[in-house]
Amino acid sequence: MRNRSVVAEAKQIDLASSLIHLGARLQVLESETSLSRERLLRLYKEVRGKSPPKGMLPYSTDWFLTWQPNIHASLFIGIYRYLVKQCHQERIDALVRAYRLYLEHVQAFKMDQVLSLTRAWILVRYFDGELLCTTDCNKCGGQFVVHRQDLHSNFLCGLCNVPSRAGKTKAKKETVQ
Amino acid sequence: MKIETLLDEVRETNLAYLMLAKHMISEDKAEAAYRLGVSEELADMIGSLSTGQILKIAGSNMLMCRFRFDDQMIWNLVTSHSKDHVMGNVHAAILMGSQAVETV
Repeated sequence: MRNRSVVAEAKQIDLASSLIHLGARLQVLESETSLSRERLLRLYKEVRGKSPPKGMLPYSTDWFLTWQPNIHASLFIGIYRYLVKQCHQERIDALVRAYRLYLEHVQAFKMDQVLSLTRAWILVRYFDGELLCTTDCNKCGGQFVVHRQDLHSNFLCGLCNVPSRAGKTKAKKETVQ
Repeated sequence: MKIETLLDEVRETNLAYLMLAKHMISEDKAEAAYRLGVSEELADMIGSLSTGQILKIAGSNMLMCRFRFDDQMIWNLVTSHSKDHVMGNVHAAILMGSQAVETV
């Protein structure tokens, strides 16, 4: 690997640093860029000013099906698919752009940022690996993230059919008081 | 409203809309296509318009932009005065993302 292209490497570093800015974990960087682990570590420390968090990535598919994460995940995957289908974007470019657009939406409406970039990346991998898919809500027709193996014939989304006490968390109660 | 002022305002809106669209497309085409709700081909076409062409299109008596949603459901979501208008907007965004796009 001695005769690597400098331009290609610069592009990889650019991609890695924008991913780090958005909050990617080291595992995401390792699989999406061709840079070595040492360089990624150095880059991470330079951009963030601290060492990357250690430990495994969150890997539960069920997390994406709980009420609030499901709404955020559905919003994100909608944007991502739009970029891939309509604009023929590369996978990782579409991920970064879709995540930026998602963050914009969250900030515009002053919502909590539920989906981190790492989670968004995992979500896309679950879609590629066909663990999760989207299905149409029977009432509103929007596309929502569901388990591929579940039955979806009478699916109602979490926004048409809000579960009782959804979104009424302890933290929210405390901020109101 | 007098017809002259009406036409002037239509032209002004057209011009502002087209300039904004062109600007957004030159910044980042994919993001602009998502925001505008158009296909990549149409975004390419708008992006390649010259200033003279934009002026020509904008000088029409018809509006060049139109309503994004023709769905009663989305209208209700974005206009509702209920407490949870944030959730309504997310819902609308999810529905709009899965809608068909404007193509050439």
